[in-house]
Amino acid sequence: MEKKTRDEIVQIVNEALIKEFELKSEQMKPEANFFTDLGLDSLDAVDMVIVLEQAFKVKLRTKYEIGKIMTLKDLYDYIENLMSEAAQQNG
Amino acid sequence: MEKRIVISGVGSISPYGAGANLLSENMLALKSGIAFNETLSEIPDMPSHISSKVPDIDFSYIPRQFRRSMSNMSLYAYGAAVEALESAKVSDMDGVALFLGSTISSMQTWMDFAGKYAAKEFNEVKTNVVFKVMNHSPLTNLAQSLGISGLGLGASAACATGLMNIGIGYSALKHGLISKALCGGTDEYHPIMTACFSIMNAASSHFNDSPSRASRPFDAKRDGIVCSEGAGMVFIEPLEDAVKRNAHIYGEIIGFGTNIDTKSISHPSRARISQCMELAISDAKIKAAEIDFINAHATSTVAGDIEEAKAIEMVFGKAPFVNSLKGHIGHTMAASGSLELIATLDMMEKGKFAPTLNLDNVDPACGDIKLFSKPTELKVRTFMKNSFALGGTNCCLIVRRY
Repeated sequence: MEKKTRDEIVQIVNEALIKEFELKSEQMKPEANFFTDLGLDSLDAVDMVIVLEQAFKVKLRTKYEIGKIMTLKDLYDYIENLMSEAAQQNG
Repeated sequence: MEKRIVISGVGSISPYGAGANLLSENMLALKSGIAFNETLSEIPDMPSHISSKVPDIDFSYIPRQFRRSMSNMSLYAYGAAVEALESAKVSDMDGVALFLGSTISSMQTWMDFAGKYAAKEFNEVKTNVVFKVMNHSPLTNLAQSLGISGLGLGASAACATGLMNIGIGYSALKHGLISKALCGGTDEYHPIMTACFSIMNAASSHFNDSPSRASRPFDAKRDGIVCSEGAGMVFIEPLEDAVKRNAHIYGEIIGFGTNIDTKSISHPSRARISQCMELAISDAKIKAAEIDFINAHATSTVAGDIEEAKAIEMVFGKAPFVNSLKGHIGHTMAASGSLELIATLDMMEKGKFAPTLNLDNVDPACGDIKLFSKPTELKVRTFMKNSFALGGTNCCLIVRRY
């Protein structure tokens, strides 16, 4: 997994989710809750993991913590952490 | 006591586009919906290079949470159902039953899914694939998106699917089992559909250079089916309810007959088709002579058209006028029964009927029935709509002008 900056992560996540779920860019606020603000449901949550796995070339569905993510900020943080861990392991 | 059942709403997505009015309008203008299909022409050893497809329609007005689980056949059914409900002026879905089916589920979705599976990329498949390939996918997609929470029953009877669902809905209404229903059939085109008929030498292959001439039921030069797609939906209810709501009544369904031909899984027989017609006539409690028009199933196959024509001759002699609308739009599969019924209802109202397109020389083997080759003004009071299917299912519906 190639290390990315926070801004790059935010951009990739937002682009992927806007495309997949037909969201508007102004909806993509860090505090936005996937279910109450972005209107996603449990099926979308599964598809979101698939879309992010493809965007970041990383396995996410086997990770327990992914189920606790509720907001966009949670997601950015999670992916950023994952990348840092991967970078440390590789380094 | 049996209730009188009427059609008070119609909706269509066809090769002519979205709108039930487009059917008779284009058919009376002798416009063909059939075109060259490049994909077919690129498949080695594929003899048929023609199809009839629904033009691009923007379905983005359907909310994403419903649209995500819809393949084309569900999108088409949604468009047709909404039009049928609007034309019936029905907005309250309470008590509405739904009878809807397709011949098979979405082939393109299956192909994509199977491709990922074979390539060991199964984990890239998104959740909604399963909702697009379920056998009752259009039915459940419509129920979810329109809020239809009553009885949902999806007959799948190959090419007789649309008419079968209308016939079942009519029978359930007549006996008071339900109070109102949306009924019909839907299908989406895939080249495999043409391939299936080509394997049986039943897809047209001699008109690849002149697609609009390819589908020619009852004509001496016919050489097979042209596969097509679309959705036809009707809203049906007891007469008294339609009158109370001041709804437009397109026609009254007075009889339905269905049987299965067990002589062959692929070959229709005049004996069983004529029996099916008699069943519908008996259900309608009328005499054959009261039927003054027949909209045939006739798909432009060599054998099928002969058997249907001979069956008509056996039951009716030369009395009723007969047409097939597949010369115009090809065979819309599960939608054919309902789409062609809707077109015929409109022609009955206009008092003008489209001929069978491309009927240049009637095949003498099709017997002596009253076919015609130009748009013809006719006062029709009662007509029969036929739909027959691979596998042997036959359906005949009788409709009377109200």
